[in-house]
Amino acid sequence: MSASSETAEQYWSWTKPEITSLNKPFWDGLKRRELLIQRCKKCGEHQWYARANCIHCGSRELEWVKSSGKGKIYSYTIINMVVGNSPIFNKELPYAVALVELDEGPRMYAMMTDCYLSDVKIDAPVEVVFKDVASDLTIPMFRPAKSQ
Amino acid sequence: MRGKVAVVGYGETPYDRARVERGQPRLTAEEYASWAMDLALKNAGLSKSDFDGQGLGVAGTIYPHAEIWSAEVVQNLGITPKMIIRADQGGASAASLLTQSALAINAGIVDMFLCIVADAPLSMPTASASGARTWRYENDYMLPFGMMGPNSIFAFIMRRHMHQYGTKREHTGKIAVTQRYHASMNPVAYLKAPMTMDEYLSSRVIADPIHLLDCCISVNGGLAFILASKEKAKQITDKPVYLMGFGECDNYMHGSKNRPDVTYLGIVKAAPDAYQMAGIKPQDASFVEIYDDYTIAVLMQLEDLGFCKKGEGGKFVEQTDISVNGQLPVNTHGGQLSAGQAGIGGGCSHIVEAVRQLREEAGQRQVKDPKIGIVTAIGGLAYGVNLVHNIVMVFGKEV
Ligand SMILES: [Zn+2]
Repeated sequence: MSASSETAEQYWSWTKPEITSLNKPFWDGLKRRELLIQRCKKCGEHQWYARANCIHCGSRELEWVKSSGKGKIYSYTIINMVVGNSPIFNKELPYAVALVELDEGPRMYAMMTDCYLSDVKIDAPVEVVFKDVASDLTIPMFRPAKSQ
Repeated sequence: MRGKVAVVGYGETPYDRARVERGQPRLTAEEYASWAMDLALKNAGLSKSDFDGQGLGVAGTIYPHAEIWSAEVVQNLGITPKMIIRADQGGASAASLLTQSALAINAGIVDMFLCIVADAPLSMPTASASGARTWRYENDYMLPFGMMGPNSIFAFIMRRHMHQYGTKREHTGKIAVTQRYHASMNPVAYLKAPMTMDEYLSSRVIADPIHLLDCCISVNGGLAFILASKEKAKQITDKPVYLMGFGECDNYMHGSKNRPDVTYLGIVKAAPDAYQMAGIKPQDASFVEIYDDYTIAVLMQLEDLGFCKKGEGGKFVEQTDISVNGQLPVNTHGGQLSAGQAGIGGGCSHIVEAVRQLREEAGQRQVKDPKIGIVTAIGGLAYGVNLVHNIVMVFGKEV
């Protein structure tokens, strides 16, 4: 997805995420080219997406830590049709979305970029790239890992 | 709880897609709720006033997007119930209404419950109007990441099932084709034209490997059922259909929380509880009505229900006649894949069909000499897993 000078509001309509007190560190991190996920200070487990407590032990003592941005594809789909999302995705069709298993543990849905659709396979190693899809919104995407 | 409560009446309106240019009605959810109640009352030989001082169950709607919906429904119907229960478990809402109202009846609070699920997602005034599916995790962490709602989530699950077990589209295709055959004998079904395996295999790709004919067909419609205590049921009908057992599991993750095996649904936990309460094993079922938002959901649930081992659903479907005349009739009404998914009410069609079959009122598609029916419900698509809400119910003619 190409960079845009438009704001998310102008371009993404209701697809735009709501930035809240809970998830602001994640969205701010993306602008600094950092993929942040939550880690529990009590049990040490990681989690994604943003929650107010650890889904493993229940502790509210969570910190945002930098993910290596490396992982592998658990499953994927090739999107051929825009359904219930912003029409902006029409110009990307067809495109792949992967469910990426981050090295830290959690899985994350993300678009695949900088590759052929045939490169998208289960267990393929991938790494994060940061795409400025609007002047005020950066989205993490993944591409085949260049080095292991 | 075994056999303490029975279904004594049901109603199901015809389904349509509000295509006014094709002569279809464009009705509101209020109209479908009223219509479904009327059909259920007539079916049970009861009147609306019989429910003053009894229970009312109300499921949510995709459209209209109304938060305090039960206040609208109860005023519109003109009933003065003793209690209202409200379900918001997506596709599992009707099943949740049934189990909750059964508990209330068994507790002696009331002795009858009227449960209504009606939805008109196709009657939204504009294409851009938003329905009620507004999970924050989808809005914030899925849609901006390129996901396309349920189609895309089920694509990940289906891909994984194919990868782990060698499941083929011919397997899920048999489910789609058989259910269409059943829908052809269901007067209220939306899609009745016969479907061939070739048509299934070549239907357009939506989110690969999900094709168009893997998906349920969204419709408008209204459904209702009436529950009564065992004693009350005998006064109302000579054909009560007893709730023999049920089980529920929410937010199940097979394996670890971060890395669950998405080919297992919480049905795998709910089913043994339902069987134990009912005192049955899955093979005792005369038919199964399985929540079918996607073909792969049916296949996975056949495994989780215990009809075959995990991963062998494809082979099981290949080797089993799942039609109304077969060894294990599946979704005898055509399911949501062909009869239609009336928004949040879609899961109620499986309950209504099970009751209809056990009362031997299913006409052309009647299963021969049915004794036990198993019904499942799943709802609420989770992030990175599959379905949040999972309910299994066992119904029988005799206690
Ligand atoms: Zn913890």
